[in-house]
Amino acid sequence: MSWPDWIVLVLTLLGMIAYGLYKGRTSRDLDGYFLSNRMVPWYMVLLGIMGTQASAVTFLSAPGQAYTDGMRFVQYYFGLPLAMIVLCVSFVPVFRRLKIYTAYEYLEQRFDLRTRTFTSGLFLLQRGLSTGISIAAPSIILSSLLGWNIFWANIMMGGLLIIYTVMGGAKAVAYTQQLQMIIIFGGMTVAGFMVIHRLPAGVGLSEVLHIGGKAGKLNIITTGIRPGGKGFDWNDRYNMFSGVIGGFFLALSYFGTDQSQVGRYLTARSLTESRLGLLLNGLVKVPMQFLILLLGVLVFAFYQFNREPVFFNQSQLDLLAHSKYKDSLVRLTRQYEAAETSRLAAAPSIAANAATPADRSKAAARLLAAEQQKTDYKMTVRRWLDDKDVGGDSNDTNYIFLRFVTDYLPIGLVGLLIAVIVLAAWGSIAATLNSLSSCTIVDFHRRFSNRPMSTEKEYQLSRLYTLLWGIFCIAMAQLAYNIGNSLIEAVNVLGSMFYGVILGIFLVAFYRKRTGGKAVFISAVIVEVAVIFFTILSRQGVVKLSFLWFNVIGAAGVVVLSEGLQVFMKKPSAA
Amino acid sequence: MDQEPEEKVPLFKKWSRWYILVAGFLLLNIILFYFLTKHFS
Repeated sequence: MSWPDWIVLVLTLLGMIAYGLYKGRTSRDLDGYFLSNRMVPWYMVLLGIMGTQASAVTFLSAPGQAYTDGMRFVQYYFGLPLAMIVLCVSFVPVFRRLKIYTAYEYLEQRFDLRTRTFTSGLFLLQRGLSTGISIAAPSIILSSLLGWNIFWANIMMGGLLIIYTVMGGAKAVAYTQQLQMIIIFGGMTVAGFMVIHRLPAGVGLSEVLHIGGKAGKLNIITTGIRPGGKGFDWNDRYNMFSGVIGGFFLALSYFGTDQSQVGRYLTARSLTESRLGLLLNGLVKVPMQFLILLLGVLVFAFYQFNREPVFFNQSQLDLLAHSKYKDSLVRLTRQYEAAETSRLAAAPSIAANAATPADRSKAAARLLAAEQQKTDYKMTVRRWLDDKDVGGDSNDTNYIFLRFVTDYLPIGLVGLLIAVIVLAAWGSIAATLNSLSSCTIVDFHRRFSNRPMSTEKEYQLSRLYTLLWGIFCIAMAQLAYNIGNSLIEAVNVLGSMFYGVILGIFLVAFYRKRTGGKAVFISAVIVEVAVIFFTILSRQGVVKLSFLWFNVIGAAGVVVLSEGLQVFMKKPSAA
Repeated sequence: MDQEPEEKVPLFKKWSRWYILVAGFLLLNIILFYFLTKHFS
């Protein structure tokens, strides 16, 4: 990275820390530290919700996902708007009315202490582990691409934000998320315009869509039905049905029961502003995700007219260069480069002569025939990386967008785009640290401590817990380094192992008034063990079920089982 | 439990209109995406 890029990156990050410290001044009590004294306006709630959900991986992975697998990933978000509606009808009014700090406090009022402690404990376990992974995943990508030391990459990704999060609590998180989202949207928009700007003359958005469509990248809507109508593929991750149903349960669980999100809309000035923030998130999330994925299709079209690396993760090619395949790699690289040269010589004339829609369609088909040859070379490299003797990582999806940025964007903009990735991580991790601290102090320390605490002592302890969770997550990130690129998938799988059960507990709390604490607690423990068991079977290939469905199984399992158990119990044990 | 005061719903008369807007916009997105998929495939 050039020195102007470093200046842009360092100034942006230092500016963000200073802004967080300046705006984070608040009253020295739990209301101020965790809820910003409930004074946050709706637009900051909206940006906070979006900033918490959109991590660094969102901006690294999504364009690469569209590049390799097409835009069908957008369906993953189809259940989200519906979940926002359910939250506004059922969850938010109750949380606001009870004036709680954490979502799990409600469970003690509705059921009993053990259900609250169990659920909050599940949240701390899941979030504590996954946040460490969320720091490690983008750090590994940046360190591989830019040659950074992994320890310092982890410190930049998950360490610096601790300064303003510890000092300013929820208020610092809200204000920095607002500024972060503005910078992120600005950076991604500029990146999109730059891709279009670098396309050959005569190739615009319409041509890009045709190229993407012919290559199967515009597979935005898919049904998950196997070819020839041979039933529904339950192992297919992203389709209309898994997106609407599985995505609905996942979003309902994430936004309704994950304290990192609940903590954002509890800071709102009023119930109306909480609702408005959530509903507007329901309106903008799907189009926003569509545009991020479209960026991946733009990059795909760009590489139809420009030299594409045989593998986007250079560190893995370096690994091959020191393996038994080193001579084969030299030969393959030479053949690949020759094929790329002849393909690129033909590409501009194809684009220039494609005057009519019919011509454009033919041109796109010819380009894609050449693409097939390229794919064969790429597959060979992947096969070598998968060789146990090499021990490489054959998935370079998460490197595609950033490799494009570092190879083709002008100096200064590279620094800005790296800053976008880091800020996306900060927004998400800061909100999580704040929520981990709030659950630790409110659901555990304060709840189980026999000694009364002063407001100042609670405030100081909350800061201390935020700091300790920050250190814990950094330590987890250092440990997670060895897992490699599958970390991103690990975050999703880990979430789905716990979210469903937590949601099930809340669904019973809200909608099954006759079910008591004992029934729901026993059900939650049984179903959680079952979901963990099924996840292990699924990972080993024994059960063929996409992880999104575990959210549905976990939630439905708790509701049905607790209902059944309640029948055998004469009256609710606590209500 | 303290009841939060009922506040005026922004833009519409009832929250249900907001819910219809969000669900309707999702439906519109899905229809648009369907035609984009068909047109460019």
